[in-house]
Amino acid sequence: MLVLTRSANQSIMIGHDVVVTVLEVRGDQVRVGIKAPRSIDVHREEVYAALQRANKSAAVSSPGALAALSKLPRKANPQNSPDGAVKKIPGSEPGRASGSAPRGKPNNVPNTAPDSASGSASDRQ
Amino acid sequence: MSETIDGGEESVDIPLLEFANGIPGFPESQSFALIHTELAQEPFAVLRCLDTPELEFVVTTPHFYFPDYAPEIDDSTVERLEIEGEEDVLILLILTVGEEAMDITANLFAPIVVNSKNRKGAQVILKDQDLPLNAPLFDKELIEQAQA
Repeated sequence: MLVLTRSANQSIMIGHDVVVTVLEVRGDQVRVGIKAPRSIDVHREEVYAALQRANKSAAVSSPGALAALSKLPRKANPQNSPDGAVKKIPGSEPGRASGSAPRGKPNNVPNTAPDSASGSASDRQ
Repeated sequence: MSETIDGGEESVDIPLLEFANGIPGFPESQSFALIHTELAQEPFAVLRCLDTPELEFVVTTPHFYFPDYAPEIDDSTVERLEIEGEEDVLILLILTVGEEAMDITANLFAPIVVNSKNRKGAQVILKDQDLPLNAPLFDKELIEQAQA
């Protein structure tokens, strides 16, 4: 592992376009700012690791897990159920997706939302 | 229609989805197909990886089990998947099927987002939306009460 010593407001370049800046050191916490192209995902390591684990346990390679599906009630939780009807997966109607659409924000707003986990934010621009 | 490993028939919903960044845990897995099988019928489907043999995920759209689910997709995802409008977006939740079928959970924290126009997809970590990685599909107590 490459080890570098930096002070507040000093940065590290990773490749041509990733800049990691130490913003503030307070007690045993360090605030870090990360500037990276949007094609690069930036996440807290523990958040990403938790998702990796979840995906690995969700991956099915045997028909057994699928067989379990057919035993499930085709019924949502009573308090959740919209109308009791089983709805179609929208992909089966080409080019269409219905309901639960995300609330997309305008494209030109910088992506500065901090990570969801607690602790110091890793803002990116 | 084609034969599956368990001898049943399956139908392909979306033949080729491209996940340029793979998905966390499987970075090399970039091509997927969305299919229904005899066992995975609506509201379930199988997201089958075309690069990695035997890699499949069971998925569902949120409408049925989580009708209030309305994830906010960040700008970098909108840009990366070239999403032009909400109507083009297909949201899928990855399910974890445990030993007991009723223990099935959905990943609300990081949904699969697909642009149904260009078939680009990604698994998106929702920041600041405080959603669980393992949300149960069924409340066993409520179902038992309903059956009693």
